[in-house]
This record gives sequence, C-alpha cells and structure tokens, in this order.
Amino acid sequence: MAASRIMERFSSDDKDEDLIELEAIRRPRAVKFDLTRANREDLEAQHYHEPQHSNALQRNSWSSSTQRVLSSMPSRSIKFNQSTALSRSTEARRRRPLSIVSPTHCSTEQDVFREQESCRNDVTQNEEMLDKLQDLSGAESVRVLRGMPLSVSEKRQIRALIFCCETVQPLSANRDMCCHQFKAWFLKDVCGCCYGSVSQKKSIQLWQGVLKNISAHFGTGVLSYFTFLRKLLYYNLLLFLITGLFLVLPQLSNPPSSKNKSAATDDLWMLTGMGILTDSVMFYGHYANSTEKNCKADMKLCPENYNIPLAYIFTIGVGMFITCVMLVYSMSKSFGKSFRVFKTSGNLALKVFCSWDFKVSKKRSVKLQSVNICTQLKEMLSELSCKKQKRNLCSTLGWLSVHFIVWSICLVCIAACMLVVYYLNPNINQDSSKANSFQKAEDFLKLPLVVSCVSHLLPGFFDMLSRVELYNSLSTQIYVSIIRNLLLKGCIFSVLCYYWLKKISVRKNPETCWETLVGQELYRLVLMDLLFAVSYIILAEFLWGMCIRNITFRRRKLQFDIARDVLELIYGQTLVWFGVLFSPLLPAVQIGKLILLFYFKKTSLLMNFQPPRKHWRATQMSTVFITLLFIPSFTGALACVIYTMWRVKPSSDCGPFSNLGNMFLLGKEWIKDLGKSHPNMSWLSWAYNNLVDNPLFLFITAGLFLAIIYIHMQVLDGQKMIIARLQEQIDNEGEDKKFLIAKLQALNETSAQHHPRKCRVYSKMKRVYIHIPEEYETSSAFQTFGEWDHGIVVKDMNPYLTQSDVHNYFEKFGTITECVVTFDKSSEWPKGVGFVRYSSSEEAKAAEEAGPHCLGDFRLRISKVLTPKLSALNRCDSQLNTPPCQSFQTDLCVT
Amino acid sequence: MGGTSSKLPKDLLSEYQELTFLTKQEILLAHKIFSELQGRENGPYGSRVSMEKVLTLPELKSNPFRKRICHVFSTSDMKDGSLSFEDFLDLLSAFSDSATLEIKSHYAFRIFDFDDDGTLDGRDLEKLVNCLTGETDDTRLTAEEMRQLISNILEESDIDKDGTVNLSEFQHVISRSPDFVSSFKIVL
Repeated sequence: MAASRIMERFSSDDKDEDLIELEAIRRPRAVKFDLTRANREDLEAQHYHEPQHSNALQRNSWSSSTQRVLSSMPSRSIKFNQSTALSRSTEARRRRPLSIVSPTHCSTEQDVFREQESCRNDVTQNEEMLDKLQDLSGAESVRVLRGMPLSVSEKRQIRALIFCCETVQPLSANRDMCCHQFKAWFLKDVCGCCYGSVSQKKSIQLWQGVLKNISAHFGTGVLSYFTFLRKLLYYNLLLFLITGLFLVLPQLSNPPSSKNKSAATDDLWMLTGMGILTDSVMFYGHYANSTEKNCKADMKLCPENYNIPLAYIFTIGVGMFITCVMLVYSMSKSFGKSFRVFKTSGNLALKVFCSWDFKVSKKRSVKLQSVNICTQLKEMLSELSCKKQKRNLCSTLGWLSVHFIVWSICLVCIAACMLVVYYLNPNINQDSSKANSFQKAEDFLKLPLVVSCVSHLLPGFFDMLSRVELYNSLSTQIYVSIIRNLLLKGCIFSVLCYYWLKKISVRKNPETCWETLVGQELYRLVLMDLLFAVSYIILAEFLWGMCIRNITFRRRKLQFDIARDVLELIYGQTLVWFGVLFSPLLPAVQIGKLILLFYFKKTSLLMNFQPPRKHWRATQMSTVFITLLFIPSFTGALACVIYTMWRVKPSSDCGPFSNLGNMFLLGKEWIKDLGKSHPNMSWLSWAYNNLVDNPLFLFITAGLFLAIIYIHMQVLDGQKMIIARLQEQIDNEGEDKKFLIAKLQALNETSAQHHPRKCRVYSKMKRVYIHIPEEYETSSAFQTFGEWDHGIVVKDMNPYLTQSDVHNYFEKFGTITECVVTFDKSSEWPKGVGFVRYSSSEEAKAAEEAGPHCLGDFRLRISKVLTPKLSALNRCDSQLNTPPCQSFQTDLCVT
Repeated sequence: MGGTSSKLPKDLLSEYQELTFLTKQEILLAHKIFSELQGRENGPYGSRVSMEKVLTLPELKSNPFRKRICHVFSTSDMKDGSLSFEDFLDLLSAFSDSATLEIKSHYAFRIFDFDDDGTLDGRDLEKLVNCLTGETDDTRLTAEEMRQLISNILEESDIDKDGTVNLSEFQHVISRSPDFVSSFKIVL
C-alpha cells in the first residue's frame, strides 16, 4: 500500500495562487499521500511543545531566514539616536557591524535592503528629533543633547544644525536676532558661572584623592564608610558654624565682668573637661543670662540688644532644624535611589551585569575582585541547583534553640551593661570632695571608660556569637548584628539620659551647674570614644594583623567591618547632637575627632586590610545607615533636647536660663514682649497666640496631614496595581513573542528544507507546479497522469527585476520556453517569484544545480518543478483548479 | 594648570563643557593626560592615540574590559580602537560622576556586546562572564555551570523571551541596581 503523507495548505487570502505542499514520507517502496490539514497543526504543536525547542530559542538553532527577520526587529537595533543620517561615514561604521547578524554568506543583499530601510527610518527620526530639539530652549536642548549617547563630533553637528535652523527663521527681524544673541550670550555667561562654581565645588570636595585611592583598592563598599564619615563631618561643620557665629562669638566678644570662681588646676583637664574648661565657652554654665549686665559700653562689638539666652535657644533650635532638613533630604534621595533594591528576583543577572567595579584599578585588587565574583557566582549557582533542602523537625528545633540562646546571651549582656553603667554613675557625683585631683579625674573618667569599653568590645563578642548561628545569607547576618549593636547603644544612651535628666538635674546641692556637669560628661564620652577607636585601631588592627600575618604565615589580612564602624560613627554623632545643648562647642570636638579618625582608619585600611570578600550593596546599606542616623539617633537626640528644654528646670544660679521654670518660657515671654515693643512684629505674637497655643488649630493641621497622607497612600496603591497590570502585559507579550518566533522558525524550517522527502505542488494562475524528488519523476503515478514539462520556480527575487532580466539570466542554462514574473493582483507590486520553463528536464536540473544564483544583489532560491505541458494547459484548465487537484491527489492515493 | 589650559582653545573648552558631562577641570586634566599619551603636543585634532598606548593608563591597565571600552568609544575607521581626544572625552564623560544612568547603561550594554550585533546573546554572556571571573583556569566556570548560568540570566532578564537580552531589557535589569551608577565610574 502506498504510504505517504501530503501536507496541504491553502493560502486563504489568495485564491489564485494556491500553494499545496506535499510532504511525502518515504517508506520502503511505497508513497502515501494523506490529505489532512489538522495533522500539520499537530506537528507544529508538537514542535512547539518539545522541551528542547522551547529552550532552543537561542540563536544557534535558528535558520538564517529566521535570524534575518529577528535581527531586523526594532528592539534589536540599538537606537543610535538618529544621528546617523547626519554623518554618513560614521553611519556605515556603526550600522554595519550591528546589522550583520548571521554570519552566512547570503546576508549581503539583506543588509543592503535593511540599510535602505534604516536610512529611511533614520532620516525621518532625525527630522523628528531636530524638530523636537528646536522646540526646546537653547540651554534645554543642549542639556538634552548632552544626555544622548553620541560622540562629541556627532553632538556638535546636531547642535550646529539646531542653531543654524534657529538662526534662519528669525532672519527677517534683525532686532529679534540681536535680542536672541544677547540672550544666548547672557545665558552662556550665567551657565559658565554655574559651571565654574560647580567645578569649584568639585575640586573643594574633601579628600578626593584619598577616596579615589581607597576605592581603587577596596571598591565601593568600603568607600561608603568614608563618604558617610565625610557627610557627618559636613553636618558637624554646619552645626559648628551656626553655634560659633551666633552664640560663641558674641559670648566671647563680651566676656562676663567678674567671675571669681577660681578654676581648680587639673592635670587631666583636656580629658575630663574639668578645670580650665569648666568655666569657658565650652559649656553651658559660662553663658551669661542677660546682656544688660555684661555688655560694657565701650565694647564696639557688643550690639545693644544681643540677647544671649534667646540666641542660645534659637541657635540650637535652628541648628537642629537645618540638620533635620538636610538629613531628611539625603534620606529621601537615598531612598529614591534604592527602593527598587528590595525586589529580590533576578539576582544572577544583576550580579553579572552590575557587579564589576570599574573604579578598582590596582592589579591585585582586580584579581581579587574577579575571584570574588567567581566564587559568588558558583555559590549562587549551587544554591539554585539544590534549592532549599528541607530541614526536619529536629534540626529546626536545634537551629531555633541556638538562635534563642544567642539572643538571650546578647540581651543579658546588654542588661548587664545597663546595670553597670547605672550603678557607676552615683559614685562619681556623691563624694565630690576628694583631695587628690588626679584621683578625682580618675573617678570622673571611670564611667566614659566603661561605656566606651562596652561599646567597642561587645560588638566583637556579638560577631563571634553570630558566627555560631550560621546564617545562610549575608544580609540577614548584617541586619541582625546591626539590630544587636543598636540595641546595646540605645540602651546605654537611654540609661545615661535618664540619669542625667532625672538624677543630676534635681540634685539638692546646687554648687555647680548640672548642665555643665552633663556637658562635661558628654565631652568625656566623645573624647573617650575617640581614644578607644584609635587604640582599637592600633591594638586590634595593626598589632593583631601583624600577629596573624607573622604567626600563621598566611597572606590573609583582616576584613573591614563596615557595618560596625558606621554604627560607631552614628553613636558618636548621637552624643554630639544631644550634647550641643549643654556644650555648644561639642561639634568642634567632633570635627577634630572625625578628621583624626579618618586618617587613622585610612592608614590602617591601606596597611592591614584586604578587600571584602562578599559583595557589599553599598547604596542599599548607605540608605539603611542614613535612616538609622535619622530615626533612632537624630530623633532620639532631638527628643531629649526638646524634653530638656520643655520640662527640666535649668539650674538657678548659672547659665543663661537661671530663674526660669524651663527654657521654652523664655521664648514665650520674648514673643509676648515682641508684640508690645515692636508693633510691626505683632503679627508674630498674634500667630503664636492663635495658632501654636490653640489646640483646635493643631488638631486641624494634624487632620489635614493625615488626610494628605491617606490620599497619597491610595494613589500609591493604584500605581502599584497599574504596575502589576503592566508587568502582566509585558509577560504576556513575551509569551506571544516566544510563540511567534517558534512559529516563524517552524515555518522557515518547513519551507526552506530542500529535503528529498518533500514534494510540493505550486499551482499558479490555474497552473500547477510540482516539486518532487527526482526518483519519483519517472514513477508510474506521474507518468500515467499526463505529460509534464520541466522548469524552475525562482523565489526571493529582487522586486525590481523584469521578465527580460530573468530571461537573460537563465538563458545560459538551456532553451527557455516560458518565463513569468508574478505580480500581486491587488497592489500590482512584484512578489519576487517567477517561473522559468525549460525544454528539457536536464536543462532545468542544470539551472538548479548551477546555484547559488545571485541576481540584482539578491540570492535566489530555486526549486526544480514539474508542470503540465504547455499544450495540455488549455485542456487541463478546468481540471487543474483546486478541486481537480484533489482528485489528482486522491488518484495518487489509490495507486 | 595654567600651562596646560592655554593649549586648549577657550571656545573648544566651553563647547566640550556643554556637550559632555565633564567639568572644566576634568577636561583640562584629560587634555593633559592625553597629550602626555601622545608624546608630542600638536593639538587635539587629527592625531589619534593607539589602543596600546591608551591601555597603559593606570585606570584602564588592569580592567578586563579595557579593549572593549576602547573599541566602543573609538571613532576610527580602521576599527583598531584608537582614540582621538574627543573619543577620550566621550569615554571620560560616560564614566564620569554626573553622567546619567541612561548613558551609563547604554555604554555598558555596548561594552558587554562583544560581537557588536545589538543584543546580548549566549556567546556575549559567556564572554562577559569569562571577563568577570578572569582568564585563569582555577577561577573559570565549568561548561556546565556556564550553561546553567546563562540560561538563568536569560530567564531572569529576557522579558520578551526571544533568547537574547536587548538594550531595554538590559536597562531594566540595571535599574534595579542603584550601585551600578557608582561603580560604573572611572576617575582620572
């Protein structure tokens, strides 16, 4: 029985040209034609669902024609923004390598075609872009231009085009032109000034060279510590400038008239802040409580109405306020940059695309970086391959208990530290009558010593504990250690605050200012923190590092713990922000401390440390740090300051606020007085009375704020929903594209296969062309049906070729009896398909085998076909329409 | 600095300032370094510095992508990666502090696109990973790992499922990493 299958396909839109494909599957001595349309779809579906096929949407498995279609997709061509038409030479350079996708030899004509296309596109795009740029103002268009990924020369050409077009238009009005030029000149000047100032700022940037060196060695992660330090330095500088200018300088310019307190000579006054420093601008107690008494008439510098207490309260307030604004600003900016980070999928791609730090340029560091990336990639891959192995109950319990134990140890440690700090405090202040000043200093230094000791050594202990816990991801480990450190420091700080504000401030014997005492305490803490940090660097980093290197003889070096060091900085900064109320010059001390710390850390880093092994997500972590700096640290300090001002009674015989219930009262009184003394400022007191004091107003504003926040949240929700929808749509489109590509590939495969098992029937203009393997040509099935002519079907022709061109070209292979080039009926556009009839089978075969044929820069596809004899055509006309074709095929089936 | 600033005409300088992300100081520094590379100081025009010479800069010397960087920024017709002064400025501008994420990711894409065909396909990714992990045998990934890595990357970043990563998909991935802007920098 004849066993072969016919694949048939009717192109539905074009009845005149029915393409019938016959696919004959050869069985031993048998051919079966099977007329099923559904089967083909089955086959395709099979193709599509085959696993290697869906996976094989990778380039190497594609046929060249698929590749050609794919490479001309708009998303594939990098948009070299339109500049290309401006510079033909660069166009050739840049477009060419991009358009050669398939390395096959036949890509040339496609290239030519595509280049024409792209040129056309470029010209239109170019005009659009120029129009768009001309719509903008001069400075704006230059800014847009700068943001385009073009080379300088291309940008220059575009700019010239823009400006020449601009100047052509207003030629009629000369004055306009003049005005325009003047404006341009003016703008340029202003811009130049701006640029100048910006570049000035750039060069002023502190420690630029050092930071570059650090980043070249250690990359962005470690750099973030130093930039954080620099940021703190700027904040302190600002705070210092404000307090220095408006508070310390006026106080210095009119020193108090007579202070008969003899400052006790103290050996360690630098450290303890006692002795000379007690009664200086350093601390609260020194500041005069009103100007009238102290201001001498002959002092030129003393302004008549400079009210030190008011200055005190406003300076501190303004300083805190500006710091707050700056913090919020940088925090929001940092959040804006990194909020996308919290999405976790797509880590491998991120790692490969973004992990290389181009700043690292030292050879050893580069090597280390690549080793690190390699190990990370391997780890991630192994994680992916074995996914999560499920723990059984026992190990889960063990894991939980380990965590529980570690956490409880940490909490117990923290509680113990709190107790120690709390009970150390009274010792210092109860017996203040000690003979030996040195012993006294020692007493005073005990507390800061313990506090610094705890805050420097316990984190190391916590780190050791967390090693037992075996966290599987680095970020959890970092966050846990941050939480513990924060807890420790927060507890210590709150104990200290409680002690200062509750105990010292209500002491019975008011022989000294309690504010000064607190200030001194803070001063000692800050200094001791510095001393400990420095000694830690020297002991733990220099000596220990040297020991490790010499004893173990390994080239291993220490690793820089960014999180811990940043937390140290945050803690120190909290102390300063709180202390600025009691000791206005504390920021100056902090500036010195930060500068010292910077140089120590830098030297130690370059000598003792190696680049970190794990990738540090610098931006994300700096967002976290700046948030920590704001939320517990700054807000905590601010709350303490406000509480002190509002609720705690200042000491009665010293400082600017003596004889007052609290510091805010002064402000209130001033505002009340203001209404009386300066009538034109009375609106301020009115505003104060009606708005700030009135609870109704506060309620209303709070309600408004809440409403605004609520609305914003709703808007955000809506946007999130839209984003999810869009994401879904993109995914769907991706699926569609995948499907279409697979279809295209399948189509191309079936149509391009010059496979002996395949046989096709081309029916055109009521003529039938049959492509059939040679061995069947002589088979009885064809011979019995009628007489056949031989010819070739030519496809992929250049559409501009005429019949005579084709005739001339194929003449050399034999005598041509018919030559046809087809046109689309509706559009009259050439289809690029032709038919050449030869007088004999041998000639047609010669023409087919002489390929590859190139005509008019296009590579032709040729297939040898059989067709009913010309003489028989008229007779067969009615039979060779589609229905007769089927009868012909069924005939074949029968045989 | 005064000595070098006189070499670069003022109008050119301001033009460069307008068209690139560099500041005046940076342009002058770049000019100084470039004329040192040239060896002789005959102005910024026409004369190109060969790739080998550019790669002797300490900032580029051990960068695994150094050749790609030169090729991407070179406007030479010979495709030899040689840089003119303006190409050099382009390079520095793309790697500067103030360049936008868009510019940076665009050039990063072209640097990673080793065969210059407009998309990152499997071969490009393989070369990229080899560059990242270094050429020595102990750091290189095995063939199996590489296959898995590439298929994972394509799965994660190839949104339209066409088997390659194109520019917009690349930028989409990049936009999730805020570190990219700070690490895609070369400071002179």
